[in-house]
Amino acid sequence: MGALLMLLSAAQRPGPEPAVLQYPKNWPAPRYDFSRNPLTREGIELGRRLFYDPVLSRDSTLSCAGCHLSFTAFAHVDHALSHGIQDRIGTRNAPALANLAWAQAFMWDGAIQHLDFQALAPISSPTEMDHSIQKIVEKLNASPRYPALFEAAFGTRKATGERVLKAMAQFELTLISAGSKYDRMMAGTDTFSRQEQNGYAIFQKNCASCHAEPFFTNFSFEKNGLPLDTMLRDYGRMRITQNPADSLRFKVPTLRNIEFSYPYMHDGRFRKLRDVVNHYAQTTALDRPLELSANEKTDLVAFLLTLTDRAFLFNPDFSFPKE
Amino acid sequence: MKHLVLCLKYAGLILLCFPAESQNIISLNLGPFYKSEKIALGESLSTPDSLTLHQLRFYLGHFTFYQNNAAILEDKNYHLFDLEEASTLNLTFNLPQNATFDSLAFNLGVDSLTTASGAMGGDLDPTQGMFWTWQSGYINVKMEGFSKKCPARNGEFQFHLGGYLPPYAANQRVELKTGGNSENLLLTLDLAPFFEQVNWVDKHNVMSPGAEAVRLSGILAKSFAIHAQ
Ligand code: HEC
Ligand code: HEC
Repeated sequence: MGALLMLLSAAQRPGPEPAVLQYPKNWPAPRYDFSRNPLTREGIELGRRLFYDPVLSRDSTLSCAGCHLSFTAFAHVDHALSHGIQDRIGTRNAPALANLAWAQAFMWDGAIQHLDFQALAPISSPTEMDHSIQKIVEKLNASPRYPALFEAAFGTRKATGERVLKAMAQFELTLISAGSKYDRMMAGTDTFSRQEQNGYAIFQKNCASCHAEPFFTNFSFEKNGLPLDTMLRDYGRMRITQNPADSLRFKVPTLRNIEFSYPYMHDGRFRKLRDVVNHYAQTTALDRPLELSANEKTDLVAFLLTLTDRAFLFNPDFSFPKE
Repeated sequence: MKHLVLCLKYAGLILLCFPAESQNIISLNLGPFYKSEKIALGESLSTPDSLTLHQLRFYLGHFTFYQNNAAILEDKNYHLFDLEEASTLNLTFNLPQNATFDSLAFNLGVDSLTTASGAMGGDLDPTQGMFWTWQSGYINVKMEGFSKKCPARNGEFQFHLGGYLPPYAANQRVELKTGGNSENLLLTLDLAPFFEQVNWVDKHNVMSPGAEAVRLSGILAKSFAIHAQ
């Protein structure tokens, strides 16, 4: 009988509060399997703290946000190649983070297949945080603040690798960008200028096969005609599949908030959207060469700017956690 | 849960629900060998190349026990065997009452579906150091040591075998006839075929998924044997 009472009182103890992702009705269901990691308010909050906490790096100087800043679409503005602890330079550009619940693979070459595991890569990379999940878990368990946060999120004060990764994934899953002018247009609550409308038509004709709506990526690995950088010698997807047909294929990046996620491409080789558009207009490496007049280029860029989502960039739930 | 409800319902018969009688526990011990020589970490074997293992860790899981090809117990968990920690070398399974078995099967390495399911705890927690961070996937087998045949610095070799994406999915299903029922099983792994087939010239450091990892995993999978004790 006593055991039964204990069971009942355990059931009544308030657990973490379930949270639900909000996204437009016409979007498909997320790909992330929430049944294995149910979103909760406390889990998201813990993940956010971890995302902003330099405790994740070996010398406690660099957090995830150091390279993924909310105000710049979670990209690393101005840095062509990412910058790790002690000014160590990586080999790739930090991508913008948005709508990760729908992504199928992570990193420019798709090296990571599941969002939960993604954080292990920067944590362990010598040119990024140069730490290990084992040591981080030790640090968190010894910290004065974290055990209570783990208890709130997972019902136990003990941090484990699984819980750290799941909490970080929870926070990242909430990074949904669906409030741009483009989205309002689609919902019928805003209108494009003539220039934007024209740019949209050019985009649909020339770009949407890879940068497919509404995520502005078809989630696949494509060649967009960039020549190999002979210093970096980054062959993209081939590193993972070891298949020569995948040489120079990179994951099609989202174009949401593209205004803020410069510099562009896996190695940050272009500083301006105009440079990107010029590349596509010049390259002979695409199946279908694009012929864009100067005006069309301007219109195309005007359309790309409608993908800026200020509500996302300045969402207080995404920024540095207040104490 | 069902048992609990039953016990409460028939409170008068509670003693009948007491589990002691209903247990059918199988204990499985794991032992790595080189031919008939038992392997201990840090001790060189009596092979001409003074083969010595410094680390031997691997995942076995999804154990299934069969009687006449019908599964009588399927356990989807994974276990990390670590020669350095004696407690990890024993496993127990709770079979249905009176059930008998004549064969069993298990995975060497973590299957693709499990890997693709996201972060896991316990033996599969990434803090176990058996997970590749730069390219997701478990390291199914970590074997490190020394051989005079190994041309690397200090004769040190490292085999980190894993990978879960086709065409280089490395995990293997192992099926063994137990030849009858037994409460105590000894599962042996003979590393001689593996070390005889290592390509010492240029494949003594296998640290990423690929054809060599798959080949070597296949050799290991064929080197298990089961003995009723
Ligand atoms: C030193 C800069 C740096 C730090 C610190 C960093 N990242 Fe990144 N991030 C990058 C780079 C560069 C890439 C692309 C890597 C690649 O393609 O190989 C990336 C990729 C990602 C991606 C994949 C996005 C996609 O669409 O493929 C996610 C998610 C991410 N980072 C989250 C995190 C988290 C969480 C942390 C903290 C644990 C973190 N990052 C820390 C630079 C950084
Ligand atoms: C064949 C598929 C394909 C087509 C068509 C295509 N892209 Fe891309 N796009 C890619 C790939 C792949 C990348 C990443 C390449 C890299 O980093 O090496 C990319 C990168 C970009 C980037 C940089 C994004 C970032 O975050 O760094 C922009 C901007 C861009 N494309 C815009 C366009 C526009 C505008 C068009 C139409 C004129 C277009 N793309 C057509 C595949 C394509």
